[in-house]
Amino acid sequence: MSAEGQVLAVSHSIAMVGLEPCAVRVECSLGPGLPGLRLVGLPDLALRESVERVRTAVKQQGLHWPGGQRTVVNLAPADLPKSGSGFDLPIAVAVLAATGQVPHEVLDRVWSVGELGLDGQLRAVPGVLPVAAGARHAGAGSLLVAPSAAPEAALVDGLTVVAVRDLREVVEVLRGRSCGTPARPAPVVVPQVGHDLADVRGQPVARRALEIAAAGRHHLLLAGPPGCGKTMLARRLHGLLPPLQVGAALEVAAIHSLAAQRRPDEALSLVPPLREPHHTVSVAGLVGGGSGIPRPGELSLAHHGLLLLDELLETPRVILDALRQPLERGEVVLTRARQQVRYPCEVLLVAATNPCPCGYLGSPTRACRCRPDRIERYRSRLSGPLLDRLDLHLEVSPIDREQLLGPPDGEPTATVAGRVVAARAAAAERWGEDAGNRDVEVARLRATAKPGALRTLAQAVEGLALSARAFDRALRVARTIADLGGRSAIDPADVEEALAYRLADLAVAP
Amino acid sequence: MNLAAALARAFGPVVADGSDPRAVAGVLAWLLPPRRTPVALRRRAAQVAERDGGRPAEVLAAVVGAPDPALGDTLVDLAHRWRTLGVRVAVVGDPAYPARLAAGWPLLDAPALLAWRGTLPAARPTVAVVGARRATGYGTGIAAWLAEAASGAGVSVVSGGALGVDAAAHAAALEGPGATTVVLGCGHGIVYPRPHARAGGLFDRIVEHGGALVSELLPWQPPIPAHVRARNRVVAGLADAVVVVEGGERSGSLLTAGVAVERGLPVLAVPGDVRAPGSSAPHRLLSEGAAPCTGPADLLAAVGGAPTGDALAPAGQVPVDDGGLPPEVRAVLVAAWPRPVPLELLARRSRQPTGLLLAAVTRARVCGVLAEGPDGLRLRRAPTPEVRARLDSTTPGENAGRHGDPSGMPEERG
Ligand SMILES: [Zn+2]
Repeated sequence: MSAEGQVLAVSHSIAMVGLEPCAVRVECSLGPGLPGLRLVGLPDLALRESVERVRTAVKQQGLHWPGGQRTVVNLAPADLPKSGSGFDLPIAVAVLAATGQVPHEVLDRVWSVGELGLDGQLRAVPGVLPVAAGARHAGAGSLLVAPSAAPEAALVDGLTVVAVRDLREVVEVLRGRSCGTPARPAPVVVPQVGHDLADVRGQPVARRALEIAAAGRHHLLLAGPPGCGKTMLARRLHGLLPPLQVGAALEVAAIHSLAAQRRPDEALSLVPPLREPHHTVSVAGLVGGGSGIPRPGELSLAHHGLLLLDELLETPRVILDALRQPLERGEVVLTRARQQVRYPCEVLLVAATNPCPCGYLGSPTRACRCRPDRIERYRSRLSGPLLDRLDLHLEVSPIDREQLLGPPDGEPTATVAGRVVAARAAAAERWGEDAGNRDVEVARLRATAKPGALRTLAQAVEGLALSARAFDRALRVARTIADLGGRSAIDPADVEEALAYRLADLAVAP
Repeated sequence: MNLAAALARAFGPVVADGSDPRAVAGVLAWLLPPRRTPVALRRRAAQVAERDGGRPAEVLAAVVGAPDPALGDTLVDLAHRWRTLGVRVAVVGDPAYPARLAAGWPLLDAPALLAWRGTLPAARPTVAVVGARRATGYGTGIAAWLAEAASGAGVSVVSGGALGVDAAAHAAALEGPGATTVVLGCGHGIVYPRPHARAGGLFDRIVEHGGALVSELLPWQPPIPAHVRARNRVVAGLADAVVVVEGGERSGSLLTAGVAVERGLPVLAVPGDVRAPGSSAPHRLLSEGAAPCTGPADLLAAVGGAPTGDALAPAGQVPVDDGGLPPEVRAVLVAAWPRPVPLELLARRSRQPTGLLLAAVTRARVCGVLAEGPDGLRLRRAPTPEVRARLDSTTPGENAGRHGDPSGMPEERG
């Protein structure tokens, strides 16, 4: 820098690498040389265009642009890839400070983020929530943002968020002549039960499976013909999930904000997300990706919530394979040439599938026209590591007349959700906050089972010719069944019930 | 000379006891595709037999002659292939070739050469239980009932190797002491249908249980429709009676029944739901004079087998609540029998707490009281009339879904 000239001003902002905020110093120096502005420090394409926008905006607002001098703006640290148009404002602020139009002492405390229009108006950029959280963490006292981004940024505690309309207002605020518009945080929305479990008539087994899935966060496989209500059941399961804690809701909002899946003035929702990607979704769409800094995919958008994958067996193998590791680890790791980006994806997966290629195997109303070997091949795609992650398998039969005409015979969501919360609390007390019945080590699970339960399980696995994996899965589910029943030890009956959540074996015909 | 010795060496370990390796190699050489077919061989044999008479071995020798030396390597490879598959072969008329099947050859159609794994059915009565691949729960349930009762009475079972009725019959026959024989529509080297033919599958269990897998095809020949159709005559040829459980208008089981009539065997048919397409084959046979089969007793009477075993008459021997099934659950299953009951329906009808019901179902499956399929759950054994009567009188309204009552149970699939 020194060869180019003296660093005259530094402003601060945040670059996001995935969900991880990194503080960035925007240094501006002026010196002799060819007139013009040079941007250094790994800017991406959108950032390079920033130079023109900033220059035009400054002039349009009637502010001074250092015309006769060589201006260099450096984004530090240099090895950190930066992207997007959110650096427009900090660059403009650094240039204005370097030319003495705003005081530079305040810039240590007053950080900024936002895109500039050519007229000098400020615009919101996606992902302002994690930027604001990062700024507060890095020591910012206040943050200048576009008015539309302010409610979202103001969700972060301990940071003064100032909404500014244009560059002139920025100058006024930094000179201390105006306070800008103090931002009020977006409201918080508490979940309302939309799809009530009471609507699930005459399917006691499905109701019970949903309750267990919600309580133990067990991934669920639903197999049934088209139109049998698989999606309906998945929505009811979503309604059974306890509301998010504010911290978790902020994490969810940050991911959605980064993916431009949320309006900045939207209320902070405590409703767990529900994502239903189509089975033609791309790998990048599912796990995340895209050029530049990879964006979160559906898996991460469903973080702390429910991911519903319909037509699981129509889904290409490559997609199924891409699901596996994120489901195991609870996070997506996207590796690019220069960096590794991590997005969390603690999801409850509900995978729905037809029982056979035509969809009508086992249907009482329509005949299945599939060749048996085709059914076998179709189902064999379900096997393997992904299926092993799905603890509960449920065959969903189409609604019949008897059910439709019957009275609502089951408990409403509110009642069942109460048991779910109690069961989760019991599990949390036993394992600690970091583990659940779904992923705690099998040895720890075994230690909570009565000897008779383990014996029963071993006999059943032998008698029904099940795999060792099925043993573990049944034990996990049995743990949750016991938790729902308020039992500290797993009973033989818990194990037996757990073993019933399996698809019928095709190879054993009678 | 060299060729004859090589063939004798290669086929020695593959041919059954009492069979001549050279005769087997000669028939094989004649059968090797694409030149000739088993049909052509039988036609020639029939001509020779009519003209010259003679025992099957002499007729065969006259038809096939000595193998073409050019085929030597192919034949040796073939022998090795069968040997690695653990297969034995014999030609018609050999001591190991089933006498029932050979009877009447070449006027009656039978494979000139038979390859098998396991133990061929002995002289005791054998019943063929045949029906559709796309069977309903009713079809597989009845097939299992008949086959299990036959096996329990020491009667062997024979059927094709398809899924559906065939598989149900074989699997149920494994429950008793009787053996069961699968007639394949492909060669022994083809893994088809995969769920049964893979290692440890139903076919392996059948062989372990003293039964056999039989094929007239070369190891690599696929289950093309012609092969699958041709196996029906072998099924009938190995049986003393044929019962058709379920099948559509063009079901292969009609071919089996036709061959049985030609061979003078009793043909039985199981009445079905008149609305179901799968009832057309048995109903057509009934209208043409087949005997109705309404249970194992009819079938066993047709082969002169004494009806024994509790699968046939379990009155008072099997307690109502065996397997730990709650009486309410059992009542629903009995009312629907032999149709399977979908799990949700069982939970709804029995009005048991769901967790308790599921635990009971698992328990009953583990101890073999309940069978489970894509259509639902079914009692493995027929409930006795006494049990039915008692349940009917004690739990009115719970017998909806009884066969013939369309109000409650789902309709049959085609
Ligand atoms: Zn189908």
